[in-house]
Amino acid sequence: MADPREVRLEDLPGPKSREELEDMKAPYEEYCRKLFDVGNEFVKPMALEGVRWLSCTMYIFTPHAVANLGELGAEVIKIEFPRVADPMRHTSPFNECYFYPLHDTRPKSGTGIGVLNANVNEYYISLDYHRKEAQEVLYKLVKMSDGLTECYRPGTFDRWKQSYRYLQEINPRFIYVWGGGFGYGPKAFGGSYDILGQAHAGLASITGFHEDFGGHPVKHSNWCIDWYSGTQITIAILAALYWRRKTGLGTMIEFSQVQAATRCCGYTVPLYGRFGIVRQRWGNWDTQLCVHGIIICGKSDYPDEKNPQLRNEARYVMVSAFNDPDFKELCSVIKRNDLYEKYKTHKERVRAEAQVEIYRELEKWAADKSRSEVVRILTEAGLLAAPVKNDKEVYESEHFRQRGTVRWMDDPMLGDVIAQSTYSTGLFSETPRRKFWDFRPVGADNIKIYHELLGYPISTIQEWYEKGII
Amino acid sequence: MCDIIWCKKCNTVNYLDPYCFWNWEGKVNCAECGEVYYIHMIQGHMYKGPEPRPGEKPDIHPLYADKPYDGYTNYPPGVEGKTRPYNCTPRHIYLGRADQRKFSIRNRPMRAWPQPPSAGIAGSQGFYWDIKKLSPEVWEEYMEKIKKGEVRDW
Amino acid sequence: MEHAKDLKPHEFLAKILVPEKQTNHICWSCKYFKPVLKGSKFPPADLIGWCKKIHWPFYWCVSEYDVVKSCYAYEKLE
Repeated sequence: MADPREVRLEDLPGPKSREELEDMKAPYEEYCRKLFDVGNEFVKPMALEGVRWLSCTMYIFTPHAVANLGELGAEVIKIEFPRVADPMRHTSPFNECYFYPLHDTRPKSGTGIGVLNANVNEYYISLDYHRKEAQEVLYKLVKMSDGLTECYRPGTFDRWKQSYRYLQEINPRFIYVWGGGFGYGPKAFGGSYDILGQAHAGLASITGFHEDFGGHPVKHSNWCIDWYSGTQITIAILAALYWRRKTGLGTMIEFSQVQAATRCCGYTVPLYGRFGIVRQRWGNWDTQLCVHGIIICGKSDYPDEKNPQLRNEARYVMVSAFNDPDFKELCSVIKRNDLYEKYKTHKERVRAEAQVEIYRELEKWAADKSRSEVVRILTEAGLLAAPVKNDKEVYESEHFRQRGTVRWMDDPMLGDVIAQSTYSTGLFSETPRRKFWDFRPVGADNIKIYHELLGYPISTIQEWYEKGII
Repeated sequence: MCDIIWCKKCNTVNYLDPYCFWNWEGKVNCAECGEVYYIHMIQGHMYKGPEPRPGEKPDIHPLYADKPYDGYTNYPPGVEGKTRPYNCTPRHIYLGRADQRKFSIRNRPMRAWPQPPSAGIAGSQGFYWDIKKLSPEVWEEYMEKIKKGEVRDW
Repeated sequence: MEHAKDLKPHEFLAKILVPEKQTNHICWSCKYFKPVLKGSKFPPADLIGWCKKIHWPFYWCVSEYDVVKSCYAYEKLE
């Protein structure tokens, strides 16, 4: 009788051979394709249908918190300052990348494409909260909405009598979100920027190359902490909605962006508490695994391109071969078996000096090869290697196209545009995310909201418009 | 931290950017008169130099230079043979002049150029860009592109 | 900078980057030591600097009070 502790292949569930694996895989693949039906999201129901949310937000961080709700089916009303609008419309990028129109009173200005993806599927109205006449309108909206997200300095909405403690009296089920820099406390009046979050939370100090290699703390080029903490707010909102289903009560969520960024630091902070040690930067290599990093190759994949981003930068490869057999294979591929003899255990390899030597040898080997050659050679040897892609290659990636991550969309208002953000957040079988439109001109839905939803007569709306209230 | 080479010959300030010169040893030219200086920087501090090395070939150009006594006339980055060309200089397509495209890279229309006023009451807008009505000439062009088979899916 | 001519790079750096404190630690002549600079307000008051080596990939905070006399990772500045 076989030893019950012995694991035999035939007793295990799953395929027993490669052929069987293929047999079992194909139907699942088809099942997934059918289930998720990428590109056909619009025939399915939306998870958050029936939720109405107000968005008094600017830039990326707080708008993105609400855009998530909009993509999941909530009816979101974005309230902007009349004529001026969300400053993100005028922020980025600073060249010719605009969509038109912004507003009839400003025919020469457009909306910068930096706004894309941050305010999806929302209705755009304009309202100047400072004015006495505006207050009643906002209160009416609050009565018929589930929540509001705002990003003004702490206490500003309180001064205007529209903070949680005032709105709660009108609508006890109301969920109120403040999102900003520091929140109450010693730096209550500190504003918020993504880079501030990265710096204040200690994230920038562990990003970039080591000081011995001339490195400095580095921030991410894109505003990734804005996108990240916006998503964290959405999670908070969904929890608040669930809590309200159980108790019938609203919540106030006070969300500091610099606080959210500390979560990304992982074990770095508790480790300081335990040993009094401070993390160092280690650039494109890994402090816990070796080989597990990005190397540069000698030749570009696009040697004749005019654009330096393609000509010079398309030379980086991510390589991973940290366990012993993989590292042995890697050493034999680069014909440096002596390296394996020298660093046989992972503990030896992961030391700083060893890493410096190993990566130097790798780059020496790659000096006369192009990025795609390096990837091909290493992949054929059974190792994990992938090119560091730029956005051109992301656009061309078959993987992203098949899964609908990157896709073209004919925005009803703005025309042809690539949509990647909505469809990057996982596939839903029943209630997928979708993007109906990206953004709309300032006050584009004034009539729809003020007249059709709140029932104000057209003449009043006209009057407000002339007075600059909307 | 950024250091300079103040060329006393021609009173030009040559700026050495930290990203390139943080830890660096070699010869740099003056952007104005071409005088070559040897420098050695360690962690952003000038360890040795600048010592004039007349007649030698420079290893690198300064990033940019200006003449403070001359109304700050300057050499921006990327002046051939004077200052260093670097990859971040504005490319030929970014000249500060709006390059307004009416079509995306797959040749379908985008609303990306100034529009005539088209809003209704209180700035309200319809949900749909009626390109045929609002921009008939772009529509024409689009139809041409379809006929020529230039409109692609990707 | 004529006076710097005869200094080795690490002597030069020591001259430029003045440390906040002077103690009996062996670390001052170690290759892997990163001192707290004069005028730094941020680090806790008892730090003389950080060791870049013994807790790699972390900086170990070297306190004024535990005086290191010998260390396995010690390497003399050349």
